[in-house]
Amino acid sequence: MRFLRHLAAVVLVVGVVVAGGLAWNRFGAGSLVQPGPGLSLAPGQRALAKRLARDAPPGTSIVLRRGARPGQPGVIRIVKDGGMDLGLASMLDPVNLPVLRQTVIIEAGAAAGVVVLEIAYRRRRRARRRRRLTGATQTAAARPAAPAD
Amino acid sequence: MSGPPVPAVPDRAARAAAPRRRVAARTRLDFWFDAVLLVGFTLAYSYGFTGIGIHEWLGIGLGAALLLHLTLHWDWVLRTTRRLLSRRGKDRVIWLVNLGLLVAMTLCVASGVLISRVALPFLGIYPLAGPFWSRLHTLTAEITLGLVPVHVALRWRWIVRVGRRLLGWRPAARAPGEPAGRAAGRVR
Repeated sequence: MRFLRHLAAVVLVVGVVVAGGLAWNRFGAGSLVQPGPGLSLAPGQRALAKRLARDAPPGTSIVLRRGARPGQPGVIRIVKDGGMDLGLASMLDPVNLPVLRQTVIIEAGAAAGVVVLEIAYRRRRRARRRRRLTGATQTAAARPAAPAD
Repeated sequence: MSGPPVPAVPDRAARAAAPRRRVAARTRLDFWFDAVLLVGFTLAYSYGFTGIGIHEWLGIGLGAALLLHLTLHWDWVLRTTRRLLSRRGKDRVIWLVNLGLLVAMTLCVASGVLISRVALPFLGIYPLAGPFWSRLHTLTAEITLGLVPVHVALRWRWIVRVGRRLLGWRPAARAPGEPAGRAAGRVR
């Protein structure tokens, strides 16, 4: 029961964060992505571009030829750069191990940095406390004893 | 009548022979579950190695695991949030890092679901993709990559302590004068 109550609270918090993301997309998407100039095409060319975009193999981009104007022939240029390849054939390929190694190095480096900082912070705090204690003991020893009644 | 003499400080042999302090089941669960989460995130971030299919399914699994991880530590969240102003600086840093990680990882998983090209279409769901979600996914993944090691490293003493006991790096002994009941208790 307690677990379910906690889970409900967590789902609520996560829901609020996701709603924040949706609101960002709705009202302030421009802060993250700037809209491009868009492809200005004649109606026939637009239909052709749509068909090409649908049927083209992965990695195909359709761009407007430099200096071309809508309505002219040869406005559309097809670029194949292979950027959209899903790479379903190269899962866990040893050839790509450097990618994993790089992630591990970044994580290990950041973690090591935090550990070093934490140790340095703790040592400094301990040294300060020790100095304060030593100072207090010396002050107490130097103080003349109260006269006995 | 007195019993056999008990040495005040156990010698090395006695210390080695002493039973290892038992690690509570909940601590063991936390340790292994968090380790799996770390490995899972590292693999999921290495998109070029795993390929998109594993990346997406792993990401969805990480989303579910994140919910469970937060649920298991919800008591800590409430306790620390309540005492946020009266706590030490380090606790406040941990709280802030965890909050940042919660927001970044949640948005990362949510945007990843929205731009899914393999996992959701496989289930017959065609999510709405867009440049905003792609950019948000990349951005939050990078933030998460920065915060995950910090989140882990801020608890490195606990990890080393529990890891030593679980992996048997060094036989642990009861401290002199420590009662057996306490020694068998939780290690936190």
